[in-house]
Amino acid sequence: MLRLEGIDVHYGATQVLWSVDMRVAEGEIVAIMGPNGSGKSTVLKAAMGLKAPSGGRVLLDGREMQDASATERPRHGMAIVLERRRLFPRMSVHENIVLGAYARPARETKGSLEWVLGLLPDLREHLDATAGKLSGGQQQMVAIARGLMARPRVLLMDEPFLGLSPAMVKTVSAIMRTINGEGVAILFNEQDAKLSFALSHRGYLLESGRVILSGSGQEMLDHPEVKRVYLGVREEAAR
Amino acid sequence: MTAPLFLEMAINGLISGSIYALVGSGIALVYGTTRVLNFAHGELLMIAGYLVLFFAVTLGWNVLLASVVTLALVGSIGAAIQRITIAPLLAREDWAFRVIAATIGLSIFLQSGAQIVWGEQFRTLPYFFDGVVSLGGLRMPVQRLSILVIALLLMGLCALVLYRTSLGRIVRATAQDAEAALAVGIPAGLVHTSVFAISAVLAGAGAILLSPILTVNPWMGVSFLLKGFAVVILGGLGSFGGAVAAGFLLGLIEAASVMVLPTEWRDVVAFTFLIAVIWVRPNGLFAGREA
Repeated sequence: MLRLEGIDVHYGATQVLWSVDMRVAEGEIVAIMGPNGSGKSTVLKAAMGLKAPSGGRVLLDGREMQDASATERPRHGMAIVLERRRLFPRMSVHENIVLGAYARPARETKGSLEWVLGLLPDLREHLDATAGKLSGGQQQMVAIARGLMARPRVLLMDEPFLGLSPAMVKTVSAIMRTINGEGVAILFNEQDAKLSFALSHRGYLLESGRVILSGSGQEMLDHPEVKRVYLGVREEAAR
Repeated sequence: MTAPLFLEMAINGLISGSIYALVGSGIALVYGTTRVLNFAHGELLMIAGYLVLFFAVTLGWNVLLASVVTLALVGSIGAAIQRITIAPLLAREDWAFRVIAATIGLSIFLQSGAQIVWGEQFRTLPYFFDGVVSLGGLRMPVQRLSILVIALLLMGLCALVLYRTSLGRIVRATAQDAEAALAVGIPAGLVHTSVFAISAVLAGAGAILLSPILTVNPWMGVSFLLKGFAVVILGGLGSFGGAVAAGFLLGLIEAASVMVLPTEWRDVVAFTFLIAVIWVRPNGLFAGREA
């Protein structure tokens, strides 16, 4: 479905991604895990066209996306939930959500809204509220709803658990599974290895802009390097 | 102070303020949406002054037709300035200073161009409206009152577009978070161009309303640009509503100042007030209420 092939990204003279290969198959949840500054967000921005790669290809269903700008990619079935929600803070929740359908035909908006509110029913009572005044967890729901309004086949989520309470992390995880159950593939990034790989079908470990490990969620959790560096489990203890 | 004198002061202040509000709200709209300070904004006002003069006086068109064609042309010029001069610079990472330099250059170019094309003489338009209105012992020409009424209608229309239409919704979304707007598929470039066009139309409307009571000349935009910037700072950078309110406030302060001080002190008082506000409220009087 979504493939990144040999993606290089530069910020000015500095290279931040080095020949990154990733794929997301239909119906999958795929995690990108890595420390701060490893390039996780840049991978998602490059996939969405928000940051132009300096090399490599982004393919959706085998079709090259280089010529599709960021504003066109939602029409091709891609959507992104940006890091720290990035809502339009002085607009209402309703306006925020409906703007997610900007790239879709207007006649679909009502049906999409009902679908989204069916998946996230708690939002109904906040539709008239100002988005910037909601709690972090509620804002994350709005951001997810806005992303879903594009009726994506693949949803990119940049640090969806950032700044959320443990209870809200569970809620958002459950929502991600529900969305995935609706046939939406998800590619998300996260710094917490356990959370990332427990939630995902497959995962990638990114360090200093390079993919150094990939495998199924369970394989990633069981990998000695992941255990040692990211789960804090010592080899002897693991045995 | 007698009641008619106070009323005259208040109405004159509101009339001047309505023009400052028109010019300032355009600058605020552009800054709030694109973070661009357009130093050539005053020249859009000047061009509109000459255009309406050309259509209404030289060609003898009906004033309404001349005004509509002028607004359409000046809106197109605003859009062209954004596409040709500013948009290519926004693609660069260090665009902020380059845009300031480019718009200052454009301002000088347009002023010089106006001198070459229309000469240096000061011109004026005949009154659009005849008659005088009596208000509580005060007699006020309809032409002057019409400035206030039409400016209020135009700003109301602009607010309606911003807050009640899908164009307004995408403009506000882009103003609040350009990358998030891009991510949902909103074409930021098109929004920026539209905002420049709207801003130019507001400046053009100011020029049309002013032309019968002030003179049209190549430098007429400069003082309005400075007042426009003052209004934007007072209103809170990028706040459309703040700029409108600050425009009227500045007009009233100026009108009050000429009641007690010689006219030459008017700008001193206005800019002293601006500096005082910056000291007390560095983000302006209405900060945080951006589009």
